[in-house]
Amino acid sequence: MAEPAYTVASDSEITGEEKSSATFSETAIGIDIGTSQCSVAVWNGSQVELLKNTRNQKMMRSYVTFKDENPSGGVSSLLENEQDVLSGAAIFNMKRLIGRVDTDPVVHSSKSLPFLVQTLGIGVRPLIAALVNNVWRSTTPEEVVAIFLVELKAMAEIRLKRPIKNVVLTIPASFSRFQLTRIERACAMAGLHVLRLMPEPTAVALLYAQQNASQNSNTGSEKIALIFNMGAGYCDVAVTATAGGVSQIKALAGSAIGGEDLLQNMMRHLLPDSESLLTSCRLDDIKSVGLLRVATQEAIHSLSSQTNVQVDVDLGNGTKICKVVDRGEFEEVNQDVFDKCASLIIQCLHDAKVDTEDVSDVIVVGGCSYIPKIKSLVMSTCKKQELYKGMNPLEAAVSGAALEGAVASGLSDPFGSLDLLTIQATPLAIGIRADGNNFVPIIPRSTTMPAQKDLIFTTAHDNQAEALIIVYEGEGKRVEENHLLGYFKITGIPLAPKGVPEIRVILDIDASSVLRVLAGVLMPGSHQPVNPVMGVRMPTVDDGHGWCAEALNRAYGSTLDLVTVQRKI
Amino acid sequence: MSVSAVSISQFSLPKAFQVEDHFTTISKPIWRWRRQGSPASRIRCGKREAGEMLATSMGKNYYELLGVSVDSNAQKIKQAYRNLQKKYHPDVAGQEGHEYTLKLNEAYKVLMRENLRKEYDASIGEMRGNYSSSSLGRTSSWNGPLRPQGLFVDENACIGCRECVHHASSTFIFDEALGCARVKLQYGDDEQKIEVSVDSCPVNCIHWVEKEELPVLEFLIQSQPKEGFGIFGGGWERPANVFMAAKSFNKQTHNEKHGRNSRASTVEEEETPAQAKARADASRKINMEAASGLFSRFWQWQNKPFWGEKEE
Repeated sequence: MAEPAYTVASDSEITGEEKSSATFSETAIGIDIGTSQCSVAVWNGSQVELLKNTRNQKMMRSYVTFKDENPSGGVSSLLENEQDVLSGAAIFNMKRLIGRVDTDPVVHSSKSLPFLVQTLGIGVRPLIAALVNNVWRSTTPEEVVAIFLVELKAMAEIRLKRPIKNVVLTIPASFSRFQLTRIERACAMAGLHVLRLMPEPTAVALLYAQQNASQNSNTGSEKIALIFNMGAGYCDVAVTATAGGVSQIKALAGSAIGGEDLLQNMMRHLLPDSESLLTSCRLDDIKSVGLLRVATQEAIHSLSSQTNVQVDVDLGNGTKICKVVDRGEFEEVNQDVFDKCASLIIQCLHDAKVDTEDVSDVIVVGGCSYIPKIKSLVMSTCKKQELYKGMNPLEAAVSGAALEGAVASGLSDPFGSLDLLTIQATPLAIGIRADGNNFVPIIPRSTTMPAQKDLIFTTAHDNQAEALIIVYEGEGKRVEENHLLGYFKITGIPLAPKGVPEIRVILDIDASSVLRVLAGVLMPGSHQPVNPVMGVRMPTVDDGHGWCAEALNRAYGSTLDLVTVQRKI
Repeated sequence: MSVSAVSISQFSLPKAFQVEDHFTTISKPIWRWRRQGSPASRIRCGKREAGEMLATSMGKNYYELLGVSVDSNAQKIKQAYRNLQKKYHPDVAGQEGHEYTLKLNEAYKVLMRENLRKEYDASIGEMRGNYSSSSLGRTSSWNGPLRPQGLFVDENACIGCRECVHHASSTFIFDEALGCARVKLQYGDDEQKIEVSVDSCPVNCIHWVEKEELPVLEFLIQSQPKEGFGIFGGGWERPANVFMAAKSFNKQTHNEKHGRNSRASTVEEEETPAQAKARADASRKINMEAASGLFSRFWQWQNKPFWGEKEE
């Protein structure tokens, strides 16, 4: 096979390492980096196996402590007790913070975590710091994730007795493309090469496809499943149509709601007027909040199996909480979260154009799947009497990632267990700013990948020689509600009355989810672009991108605007 | 070998910009960098295979692309789509599968939605059930994937010798009522048998025709059949020369369609004279290019109105 002598990774490739290692035989491992727990799995030749750490755990807490000179994570280090995680030295919940700017409400809600999350509210990366010897030592979400990944990698290398390079990572469906680049960045820092980033419910869908492939072979009929995955940080829903080992994602929906929200709502319920305490950076307050957090978490866990629980905790600052909480209270204070979950399911079914009676299986996985209210709300929204039983709720996503790792590494199985394929769909719409401050989607949400779509725009002003293409991702009608992915300028538009030049914007997403934006100008009387077409790989923005849109607006106003060409209705 | 199928760190002008916008853009090659995912998969699926697959996929309609017959139901289309995806999805076939999968996705989307499918059928001249509904069972069905040509018996010329039925009994059927043979199942027998049966016809009334023509011919040869009327030929209800009749029929439907389109374009948007001129120029240019074969694969493959695709 003729290979080019060398290839140069594009500068905008995030993981700036060598890409085309033609000698390639290892099986990629699957990693599920959860907001609170992580796990690693690999295809061992006949089935998926979860790897255990030295303490024989399959699930490892996702945190990194900066106690000593060398930071250590939850894979290797052993905690004396739970409170140690909450002393200010440990950083966790990074999946909620990675790739977010300090104007993001999710970042603000993370301020109650027992370490420093400092925001300036101007659209830059928040400052995150751990308390080491009474000094706030700054770090970044990418660094924390990378430290953790290094530990996971080392653990897997010991278990598998081979170097690990390629990984398949699961990610929340609601992650923006910018957040994905941050995850890739963290992997690169850890010396890992990302083979695939899989939205968590699609990994579960792949596992489901494998479980069903043996039962109904190629001729078998199609089965539609709804997958609901809720962990500590995120809630995702997918609708998948499965037949013969092919899992076709019909729709995806996701939101940054999860167990963490349930926990915080409950903390506020147990200790009203605690806002100042929760966001305080005083050492004593951090300890108190840590104690409250542990107690609340235990209470929520207990409420999954019993209807009421006694909370008895001394916060050490003179405040004592002694209270009986029942399940009804818990469900009431979290009503908003549960409503949001239900709306995600409804939206996903709607996008997939599937009725509840067409759904053959409803799969609920993730840490929150143990909460009775979650189970009942999913069942009632899907109008089902029972849930799919064939999966371990905590291991489903990582197992799916391991399967994808094996498939993407080119492995095959004599029994056809790896005769699998996931046909992915886009979780968020992608488009550009046009018609004032509006977001005009070009590739709608839940479009089958790979996808390529285009749309024609035109100039907003007479004799407009330049136009800004600002690319966003999300669901909001206004650009501010969406994630900025990048921007570039089309120059040299021939002078003409407004509405005459055609600016054609093409979005192309390949199966690895790489997005490219092409834009060129066509003038009446010619079918050749006036100038060379611009082709930009997105996202191009870096940290602090919250600034960009505003800065662009300040510099150019509406002078470089675009409008959509009127379309047939 | 077929490294050229992918441009590596190198720009080539996206064909999109050489394309006039009455056409969809899904089949355009686009520049791309080598993606890390591909080396792994290349072990499984050779580049050559993918390249060939790409080449042969050009110039096919959606039905041919999916390898299904025009009267396939959703179930069949789904299954064909999945089987092809398993072979050619970029996860399996590497980057070379990208263009092909794009087209598969588009074909699938169109054929799975009844309104889009109807529109598409009209645009490629497939008459799924429309013309034959009145006389079910008189048209041939297909065995296996669609092929470019099919068999057609000119029943006007058939003398009812039953030779063809004798040699290829799964393909031909003898209509006792009409006293002539016709095709029951395209490619119902192996190629050799079919060849012998075609050769065996003493009056050479078995013709290989383009499969696009087939529905029209089959429709016309049986038009207005009346019970107990006319044995073979001569009847006023059946054209004496079915091939000539088909030609004029096609012309007529083409004109109808054309008329409809031009009407549609006047209402769909208001365009400046300059824009109108640009459109006209570009479409003429493209037709010329299509003739020269440079882009013909795109136009043959896809000739749906641009705006139609955007409707969601």
